[in-house]
Amino acid sequence: MGIRFNEVTHEYASYSKITYKAIQNISLNISEHEEFIALVGHTGSGKSTLAKHMNALIFPTSGTVEIFGNIITKKRNKKIKYNSIRKNVGLVFQFPEYQLFEDTVEKDVMFGPMNFKVPKEKAKELALDSLKLVGLDETYLNRNPFNLSGGEKKRVSIAGILALDPEILVLDEPTSGLDPEGKTTLMKLFTDIHKKTNKTIIIITHDMDLVYQYFNRVIVLKDGELSFEGTPEKLFKSNILKNNHLDLPNTVKTLKHIKETLNLDVDIYQKTAEDVINELNRVTKNE
Amino acid sequence: MSIISVKDVSFSYNEKKLGLKNVNIEIKKGEWIAILGHNGSGKSTLAKTLVGLLEPQSGEILIDQVLLNDESAYELRKKIGIVFQNPDNQFVGVTVRDDIAFGMENLCIPREEMLEKIDFYAQKVGMKEYLDKQPSNLSGGQKQRVAIAGILAMHSDILIFDEATSMLDPYTRSDLIEYIKTLNKEGLTIIMITHDVNEALLADRMLILNQGEVYAFEATNDLLKKPEVFRECHLELPVALEVASKVESQKIKEKLWEYVLTK
Repeated sequence: MGIRFNEVTHEYASYSKITYKAIQNISLNISEHEEFIALVGHTGSGKSTLAKHMNALIFPTSGTVEIFGNIITKKRNKKIKYNSIRKNVGLVFQFPEYQLFEDTVEKDVMFGPMNFKVPKEKAKELALDSLKLVGLDETYLNRNPFNLSGGEKKRVSIAGILALDPEILVLDEPTSGLDPEGKTTLMKLFTDIHKKTNKTIIIITHDMDLVYQYFNRVIVLKDGELSFEGTPEKLFKSNILKNNHLDLPNTVKTLKHIKETLNLDVDIYQKTAEDVINELNRVTKNE
Repeated sequence: MSIISVKDVSFSYNEKKLGLKNVNIEIKKGEWIAILGHNGSGKSTLAKTLVGLLEPQSGEILIDQVLLNDESAYELRKKIGIVFQNPDNQFVGVTVRDDIAFGMENLCIPREEMLEKIDFYAQKVGMKEYLDKQPSNLSGGQKQRVAIAGILAMHSDILIFDEATSMLDPYTRSDLIEYIKTLNKEGLTIIMITHDVNEALLADRMLILNQGEVYAFEATNDLLKKPEVFRECHLELPVALEVASKVESQKIKEKLWEYVLTK
């Protein structure tokens, strides 16, 4: 089960009749449980296109995507309940304002569950629970989503997907534009959901610090093709970063500088500031 | 002489939502200012009042010694350009060329002169080969460059970046930052709104906003020595400084400070 990409290519047609391959020949397995995946790559590398295939929002130009047993091909298949796929895999877009449309926050978050025939009262409960999960209290229920700040809109759109309780969560740059505290709060929320429910979570990000700190698997795209797959550790120890428009996390960069300028025998691959401090104290203890 | 003077400016969206409260700032020509603050602290509101997109309820703003008001806004907008977070939200042209032309068209610049300028500024931002391409087919960083060319073509001397790098990949981002450094060296005043403290380190001065008020406005290197300010405003410190505050070895502490201050 889960999601399986089998040689998937997606072409977009532009009006100049030149087609443009957003993703090319991608084969990939994502398990239904236990995965916490960072999807990274240069701007325009195909990350968002790949994400949209994960809940059959778009169909492959060639190849197949298997989502919880449903095989998605170029052609629409009447036997497949696309709606139920969207309940299995919840997708939060990059720009939450495109996703919100009701006149109150409560209605917006209730929309998903109601669409799947959840009774109104139950949907209300789910909405409040999900809003609380993302750090918004009941005072938000009757507010107009369009009057919220960017960060708040983002949280409402995430709550809308959480209310559906999907098996797999896919989020397109959920932390971009958030302040450091908001970023940490959201990442802790995702980690928490992942740990408590064992659900697979896939997050698109440009933030190498987050990739190293939180995730257990990284998928790197380059010009629409799969360019790397493995642990964050393996990625940051590789020599493919520059070639893929990526960079080292700040912890590693800082330690690398210290190691080189002071000629210290230190392991530069540390995830958090705390780890960096411990490693440096360990190395200098006997001096 | 200040290129931007903000005098006692207050702005509120409605009774409940405060934007800015008694903001006073002076920015000199050629300075690089970073504006930091948590979500909702008033950063973008300040940027919008500076370009005349929002009108403060009280106080005044002077751009290059000229009072910003309904009559002067049109003229002053030439001097000050803004690049937004999402490059897709600022494109109006079908091709890169049209897009760079847009601002100049509004200023009624003659066609011949406009064509020359388009070439010149496209070359300057490294996008000359792309003039006939559709903006939608460009990468995020390229789009931001086109937006900058359009602003430069209007001879702006102040460039505001409102989280303009937050959607770019690490490489494209540092590429754009390098380019901003060049512009600053050429004398442009840079105002950079950012959540990334590592990016803010490049500024001459940091302006920290908190709940619509100026919490601190000091030379970057001085402000970094006051970590409590960052904590009080819920901002992060560069990893190196967080480590420096707790690591035991004095030698390493010094190296870490040096690493941050020479950025």
